[in-house]
Amino acid sequence: MKDILKSFLGVFIGLGVGLLVVVAVGENPLVVLKAMTGALVSSPYDIGMTLFYTTPLIFTGLAVAIPLRAGLFNIGAEGQLMVGAMAAAVLPQVVSSPFLAVFGAILISGIWGGLIGWLKARRGAHEVIVSILMNFIAVGITSTLANGMFKDPDSQLGETAPVAEVFHSVPFSFFAGAPTGVYTVFALFLPYLLYGVMKRSVWGYQLRAVGLNETAATLYGIERGRVWILAMMAAGAVAGFVGCMEVFGNAHKFRMGFSPEWGFSGIAVALLARGKFSAIVPSALLFGMISKGSLALELETEKMTREYAMVLQGIIILSVTLTHAYKKRAK
Amino acid sequence: MSHPIVEFREVSKSFGTFFANKNLSFAIDPGTIHGLIGENGAGKSTAMKGLFGVHSIDGGQIFIRGKAVVPQGPKHMMGLGVGMVHQHFMLAGSETALDNVIVGEEHVGLFQKIRRGKVLAELQALSAQSGIPFQAWNTRVQDLSVGDQQRLEILKLLYRGSDVFILDEPTAVLTPQEINDLFATLKRLKSAGKTVVLITHKLKEITEVTDAVTVLRRGEVVTTLRTSETNASALAKTMVGRAVSFTYSGPRTDVAPDAKVCVEVKNLRVDDPFDRVKSASFFVKSGEILGFAGVAGNGQSQTFKYLSNPSAFRGRSSGDYKTLEGAALKDQTHADPEQLRHSKIGIAPEDRHHEALVLDFNMNENFFLGQQSDARYQKYGMIQKSSVREAVVRAIHEFDIRPKAPEHPLKKMSGGNQQKLVMARTLDPAPEILYIAQPTRGVDVGSIERIHAEIMKLRNEGKAIILLSSELEELMDLCDRIAVFFDGTLMDTVHRPDFDLWTLGQRLGGSQ
Repeated sequence: MKDILKSFLGVFIGLGVGLLVVVAVGENPLVVLKAMTGALVSSPYDIGMTLFYTTPLIFTGLAVAIPLRAGLFNIGAEGQLMVGAMAAAVLPQVVSSPFLAVFGAILISGIWGGLIGWLKARRGAHEVIVSILMNFIAVGITSTLANGMFKDPDSQLGETAPVAEVFHSVPFSFFAGAPTGVYTVFALFLPYLLYGVMKRSVWGYQLRAVGLNETAATLYGIERGRVWILAMMAAGAVAGFVGCMEVFGNAHKFRMGFSPEWGFSGIAVALLARGKFSAIVPSALLFGMISKGSLALELETEKMTREYAMVLQGIIILSVTLTHAYKKRAK
Repeated sequence: MSHPIVEFREVSKSFGTFFANKNLSFAIDPGTIHGLIGENGAGKSTAMKGLFGVHSIDGGQIFIRGKAVVPQGPKHMMGLGVGMVHQHFMLAGSETALDNVIVGEEHVGLFQKIRRGKVLAELQALSAQSGIPFQAWNTRVQDLSVGDQQRLEILKLLYRGSDVFILDEPTAVLTPQEINDLFATLKRLKSAGKTVVLITHKLKEITEVTDAVTVLRRGEVVTTLRTSETNASALAKTMVGRAVSFTYSGPRTDVAPDAKVCVEVKNLRVDDPFDRVKSASFFVKSGEILGFAGVAGNGQSQTFKYLSNPSAFRGRSSGDYKTLEGAALKDQTHADPEQLRHSKIGIAPEDRHHEALVLDFNMNENFFLGQQSDARYQKYGMIQKSSVREAVVRAIHEFDIRPKAPEHPLKKMSGGNQQKLVMARTLDPAPEILYIAQPTRGVDVGSIERIHAEIMKLRNEGKAIILLSSELEELMDLCDRIAVFFDGTLMDTVHRPDFDLWTLGQRLGGSQ
């Protein structure tokens, strides 16, 4: 409870400092604030877009938070979601059911993530380094495929051919054209589902035990290598949903560079949530709102650009970290 | 009589609604050795942390040399001449003894040259003057014996001008001989006019070396006595609140002549840079306890670790390891914990905090550790919370674990209660063979009695037990035979009739 209050306090301090930055550049903070908040909820379309920006951050936030429970730091969500997206774009040529296509895509991104755990378990390779390197490999492989084997012959860009219509996930009409649909609903529930899995299942228990005390867990028959692999597979699979959402729910194809580094923002989302599954949704929502809101800045102000979102995110993470680090000194 | 050097007046400290210290009042006279005794969780360390300014006190006052002081932290208290030797030494292992003294000295400026020669000369003079022997100033701390490290800590405090030396459970890691040396050191400090505060839960140490003793129970001072006016059993009674027996006095059935060998190890070798096992061969029969004795680093812990999880030693161990399963001995040379469990071997590892428990878990979750594949506690991969909880409630009842709340986090429980939970888990499901390490380390007197009785009960029921302990007295009290480890080798197995504290202590030190 106290933790939540501290987080809120940190967010507000961060926003305050962020607005001071606005003053420093010579813009009116009130105008900026109005532009950003106005862009969030002024129409059903705007609400939809805010949720659309939030959804991938929930997935990638989880892709970082799950391995964190097992004591692993996953920097590889970006690569995992790209592999998932490429798989989602290609699988419809092989399978006929949308369900199978989604399942196959997250399975493949899961295996991609699991590789990191496997390398750590078998060869002792550090997961941070491996996952960073695997991001580059993922970019390399997916762009090669998007420009070669699976390139859409009718397009000048590095992208795959559109998937058939039966695979499309139809956005809710309420949002008046914003590509917000079942993936968002799923994302909003997923952290709470996983929270239950962590608490109630043997698998979740083993994961937490390894994360909290590897020595004791090993001595009591939990194979840490297996836990690492499964934790990273789960992370990869969850990140893969971002790819599915992009391909089936938004662009209907794989486009090179489609992700504005959602995988890395996921690290920020998970850290802001302090690794707690129950806090992933609000944390992702905050970052989604900042990303969406900052788009309006270029229209409404002269000097501000959408990169302000990154500045604000950075400041908020810092201030939340500081409010949590702050302890009352002994009197 | 002069002013007391340290005085507590009505000092209180609470965590939430729990009083760790309640109106503590006691005084320590200068130039004495003052014992602070109490069970685990009695508030000894809380009191000393308050004195050191590690945390603030809620009420009352602390006086140093008759002056009221609000402790601001270790540095502040060091400035007032109050020094502390912690249970885990505050030394950097990879640095020399000399550099460990110099580190933290505030007189050295950022770009000033460290005058090692001068400091060394001063330290040598100090060592000679105080009669506390120490020579290995240029040896790395990690290569020093535990006794030497402790003397180094004391000399470090002397060098920094301490008058009051607080020692927190200083004998936990020492052999009987080293304990004697320590007591000699403490007496020398006293004759040099220094004051020593000895925190301990061992009564023998209090009666042997202190002048006065303050007994704490449940956060309150029960009494402060002159040591000469009391004795061990009276102290124990005050400390626990009831009469306690120090040695096991219950039944001890004879080992049956046809008792089967349950554990058999031949020519065990384990490679390890720090704790090597060069050669160990032994066996344990049903209904007997084999003790593992040795000074830390002589192979007994490593042997125990190997027995508990041979699969972790693949490629760096050799030898035979068999345990009785059904009617025949089964090879366990490469077994993993799951297989050992299947062979009805129950294990209570040495390091409670790092090996046995997950401190951030509650009692239920800790009880489930190791039971992941047990059909009683999980179905279809889901934890059967209610059955785990029932088992924990039973364990709480049987072992008198406190608090009686299965959802209580382990890290807020006393060592004794943590250990009781470990024991309860080790006995579920009922094993035939038990490996138990340091069952009473950091455990209060009342619980020790209970744990010892439980171990003996298991022995009398015919279980084969290996008991690793750094307390020779504990081993002598319970074991049928004691295996003596020195320099990675199981030197000899001593039988119960030949148990003698002094000779065993010498053999642990390597003499024949």
